[in-house]
Amino acid sequence: MESSPSEKPRLTPVKIVVAGGFGVGKTTFVGAISEIEPLRSEAIITEASAGIDDLYEDGTKTTTTVAMDFGRISLKHDLVLYLFGTPGQDRFHFMWNELARGAIGAVVLVDTRRVDACFAAIDFFERRETPFVVAVNMFYGRKLHAEEDVREALRIQPEVPVVYCDARVRVDVQRVLVTLVEHALSRATTEVAAN
Amino acid sequence: MSVWAIPQPAISGRIVRPYTMTGGRTGSDLPRIALEALVTATPAGMRMRTRFRWESADIITHTRKETAIIELAALLEVPIGVVRVLAADLADKGAVTITDPPSETDVTSDGYTDLLQKVLDGIKSL
Repeated sequence: MESSPSEKPRLTPVKIVVAGGFGVGKTTFVGAISEIEPLRSEAIITEASAGIDDLYEDGTKTTTTVAMDFGRISLKHDLVLYLFGTPGQDRFHFMWNELARGAIGAVVLVDTRRVDACFAAIDFFERRETPFVVAVNMFYGRKLHAEEDVREALRIQPEVPVVYCDARVRVDVQRVLVTLVEHALSRATTEVAAN
Repeated sequence: MSVWAIPQPAISGRIVRPYTMTGGRTGSDLPRIALEALVTATPAGMRMRTRFRWESADIITHTRKETAIIELAALLEVPIGVVRVLAADLADKGAVTITDPPSETDVTSDGYTDLLQKVLDGIKSL
């Protein structure tokens, strides 16, 4: 039976990816602004699909489970924003393609005591040309490194915004998201003008 | 939370191999439904609900309000791949509709900048 137009769903889903090294505070960041407690979903993947597409289904491969934490924010204009935390372990980096597909952009959370933990994420979003911002998580509210030092350590392009935040604090997380969407918007506007 | 990583039937009571629910299909033959795609039960789906196996019936129950694929996986404690297959089947039967997110090919359109502007307004006014 066909549903009438008035019964059509009205919400549009959009998403932002929250990446960074293991233990950098991704789920805390998502939880600070999500209207639901961050939930965890699992995908069963074949070990062989790590790095390549899941092409063969012969039932003989070993499988593993990858978990993703996510949150949801209802926005006005009938939008619903999903925030996805990337799986922290390196061996699940291939999942990032799936997460990044169709994303407005990404937040790369950085702990300045372990900057190398976010290199993989920065490489990935640069190569994929996904708009991203670097959000330095100030553990205990302390700004340990100046912005120029962070930029130097991460070797990011000058146009990539760097924001300081406390991942536990809602307004901080909100500000990071605003910075990201503004960045994505300015890039999209440039691209539209170029086409 | 992790029902399938380490079997914990006491939590969900579901001692079923996850892909048994999908007849062994893993969804690799289907176009990938986005994790954030919204599933919504149709009135017809609500009426047909009891004709489906419980896991599909559960999806209809949970999607009276729009619910994303990834949320369904978390709420029903089944892997994302299983939800994708079941939701696609339900959509084929007219029991649910699936709203896709804007595709990446939209990125260089005016519509996309409008969308981003709305998202920005929305986040600012939280």
